Amino acid sequence: MSAVRAGNRWIRADLLARRGQATLTVLAIAGIVAALIAAVTLLEDGTNPWRSLFAQTDGAHVWIYTRDSPPVVRLRELDGVTQAAGPYRSASVTVVQEGKKEPAALRAMPATPPQVAHPVVAEGRWLDPARPDGVVVERSFARALRLTLGAPLTITALSGARHTLYVRGIADSAEQGFFPEWTPGLGWVLPETLDRIEPALGRSEWVTGLRLADPESTQVVSQRVVVMLEDQLQRVYTWRQVRAAMELDNRLLGTLLALFGVVGLVAAVLALANAAGGRVLGQLRDLATLKSMGFTRGQVAGLLVVEHGALGLVGIALGTVAGWSTTVAVLGSTSVAPMPVLTIVAGTALVVLAAVGLPAWRGGRTPPIPAAPSAPPRGHLSRLARLALLVRLPPALVLGTRDAFTRRVPAFLTAFGLAVPMMMITIGLGVWSTLDNFKKNPDQVGQYAALHVRPGKLESAAAAHIAKIDPGVQAVYPGTEVNALAPGEARSVRVRAIGTSTEPYPFPVVEGRMFTQPGEAVAGQGLLDLLGAKIGDRVRLTVGGTPLIVRIVGRAVEPDLDGEVLSVGLDSLAAKDSVPPAFYALALRDGVDPADVRTRLLASSGEGLDVQRVVNPADRLAILRVVIVALIFLLSLIGLANLLTASALGLRDHAFDLAVLKAMGLTPRQVMATLVTGTGLLVVLGILAGTAVGSSVVVFLIDLQGHNSGVGAGIGRAPATATLVTSVLVAVGASLAVALIPARRAARAQVPVTAR
Amino acid sequence: MTILRTVNLVKIYSGGAVPVPAVRGVDLTVEEGEFVVIMGPSGSGKSTLVHMLGGLDNRTSGEIWLGGKRVDTLSESAWAVLRRKHVGFVFQFFNLVANMTVADNVELPALLAGVAPKDAKARREHLLGALNLTERADAAPAQLSGGEQQRVALARALANQPTLLLADEPTGNLDSRNTRDVLRLLSEVHKDGQTIVMVTHDARVASLADRCVSLLDGEIVDDGRISRRRSGGGSGAGEVIELR
Repeated sequence: MSAVRAGNRWIRADLLARRGQATLTVLAIAGIVAALIAAVTLLEDGTNPWRSLFAQTDGAHVWIYTRDSPPVVRLRELDGVTQAAGPYRSASVTVVQEGKKEPAALRAMPATPPQVAHPVVAEGRWLDPARPDGVVVERSFARALRLTLGAPLTITALSGARHTLYVRGIADSAEQGFFPEWTPGLGWVLPETLDRIEPALGRSEWVTGLRLADPESTQVVSQRVVVMLEDQLQRVYTWRQVRAAMELDNRLLGTLLALFGVVGLVAAVLALANAAGGRVLGQLRDLATLKSMGFTRGQVAGLLVVEHGALGLVGIALGTVAGWSTTVAVLGSTSVAPMPVLTIVAGTALVVLAAVGLPAWRGGRTPPIPAAPSAPPRGHLSRLARLALLVRLPPALVLGTRDAFTRRVPAFLTAFGLAVPMMMITIGLGVWSTLDNFKKNPDQVGQYAALHVRPGKLESAAAAHIAKIDPGVQAVYPGTEVNALAPGEARSVRVRAIGTSTEPYPFPVVEGRMFTQPGEAVAGQGLLDLLGAKIGDRVRLTVGGTPLIVRIVGRAVEPDLDGEVLSVGLDSLAAKDSVPPAFYALALRDGVDPADVRTRLLASSGEGLDVQRVVNPADRLAILRVVIVALIFLLSLIGLANLLTASALGLRDHAFDLAVLKAMGLTPRQVMATLVTGTGLLVVLGILAGTAVGSSVVVFLIDLQGHNSGVGAGIGRAPATATLVTSVLVAVGASLAVALIPARRAARAQVPVTAR
Repeated sequence: MTILRTVNLVKIYSGGAVPVPAVRGVDLTVEEGEFVVIMGPSGSGKSTLVHMLGGLDNRTSGEIWLGGKRVDTLSESAWAVLRRKHVGFVFQFFNLVANMTVADNVELPALLAGVAPKDAKARREHLLGALNLTERADAAPAQLSGGEQQRVALARALANQPTLLLADEPTGNLDSRNTRDVLRLLSEVHKDGQTIVMVTHDARVASLADRCVSLLDGEIVDDGRISRRRSGGGSGAGEVIELR
């Protein structure tokens, strides 16, 4: 108890004496912990709305689309199936809203919602037999169409007949992804209403949901469904696909944050250990005095652990609060998963305590005689210094060079402590330049076309004509997108057909070659992984019952749908799917603003066309840039903390040499140069090493992430040489400037010639 | 009553290639209230001896008895605990904790010994008052002159009214005026009954003491009461010049 009180006094005094460094340490660790918590929140499914929607709606794991009403009893008897929803009749319609047409599926559902996979009404109420003109619209679809309760909804059936329904409710569902990423949009009506709108059974399909006892058996169950229903089957969706569709780009952000967080943690802990070690070295005399007063070895070690550990723990606490409140503020209170956060907090605390433990233990072993010289820096002229002498470099530089390496371990820690943040900064710059490359060369991510034009109110041929005569348009590629069933996998994938085999759309093929004839295709990494296929393999899919057999001749970079996309020429699809084309992809001439072309096209078609700008992945990932800037700032803090430690240690080692150096005839400027060279050399080494490692792994890391996310390797770009050189120069310059201030003060100060 | 007794105390530094004997069989007895000065030229083992007496350094062989208890066998930690209440140290280079204020430096040993913060503060005020340092209580050690720093160090050493005050060249780094101030303080606390063992190589300083022990090459070559004023052979051992 008594030692606690006395120790407190000492810790408080010491922390006050180095407020700046202590604040830096706390901030760096706080930032890292906040980044880790944000990362784990994004990686943990907490931010994916699918989970809560699935739980709220007692969702079905497998959704089966069939031509006729399927034998539900047999489906329900499949092993692993607990309950079934439906079958519900479903008809394709077109919603006409504010002049735009959107594809929609009207689903017949009874007035009493079913037990399984029942939509949860968010606004308004469920369908009521007393009001047969009512429709309940899925929430994301309603938002896209700006539908409110009571609003009229005009729909066109396949027959061309128009009907007007009224929005009675807006509901959430876990059976398909959000509109417009997932089309068609979804609306529910009473069965009798659907019979009125689409009397022809042949123009509708049947939708059945299966709830499973074990979600992991999805694959097995859907295989059996495929075998049982054979030709009846149109499409199958599993909960995994729905979940993946609802998940936005949070995983990528989470991965980036986690990478930076983990490496940053290593750097921060290194900085902390470095700072603690340097501080202990600088305080050996004070520690000896404490011991002569009656502090025991354990108490001195404990004191140091508490002091330096406390900085880490305060940082962790701050970071936890900041990370937690930020994620709650941005993503909602349900997003934070307490267990992983607690793990992070406990893990970081342990790492921090371990990092300060070693210097503290060393401090505790200080002999109690304060007069004893505290480990004088020994050392001989390093090879580098000899070389410097040989080429007759100024003595200040030679002395500084020698100083840089006299203490090997601190020298290594300093260089390493700067190399790690610099490496991460380089990686951050690489991510930045990859995003820039997306933006500058959209064709490299499959976005050669900047606009997609849907015929809308016009005939398909007329739409193509309007697009072709626009002066800004370089090429027009007809295209369509269909869902195909991959029977082997028992789930549906997207088939995108743009251009033809003879006049192919320039998909960004990074492996293999482009397709050149009907029956050939290129695939995204996600699709190759899903089908377990390689380039050169033949795959068989079915599009609405028609088999589609293609040979995969190449891999394209595919930023959409986790890369689970097969790209073919329009002539590879059956005519029923490809004529007329659903849209035209417009490649613009260089330097033409897509917005101008869009305005022109809308004007020349009398607002009849539906013209959409293609969203560049870099735009979706714009948040990454904010994160990168924040992380670079944080890493700079860590580097700065390391630098201050190194500079303080260098000064301490030389405080008593300064008088000698001056006596030998070195001018203050030369003394200063000696001190700056001592730390500066290590700084330059660390920064260069960090940049070299960072720039050599960045492309690999980005491509690895690309591969894992299904986009595929081939997107990574290293930062431009100019960027690298600038960042190195800025880092070195800033470091030298920071090292210069204390060196200047020391060189000018009157140094008393006393023993230590 | 005997406060301190050593029996054939030996210290040999064996770190280098050749073992260096620093203290070679010292038998020393210090009575309660005595002011003993240990003199000798550089390298005679004075500092090593006084460090061993306070447990800052391990003895190679021999015994140390402090207040009737054998202490040379104590562990480093046990020594530390013993020092809190029974041994006060004053060093040549003051050794104030640089980051702490004068007040905190003086209070630290009292707090460490388990004195309540209020009492520690009262004692610190009393000590600084007695040493004429009250107005410097909130200063940092670096802002003080050497003499002031050594007075603070003395206050710190006396904070727990130790059984034994060990001083290792307390005036070695001071000018004559500050030396006089510090010595006056030492003789005052000695008058109040404080037992003091002081190392010095300054004969003038030694004149204050009751007794002067001369060390040469790690052995006691002379041990005598100052009042007896033995006339030595002019070799310097035991030679005293009146300070006042």
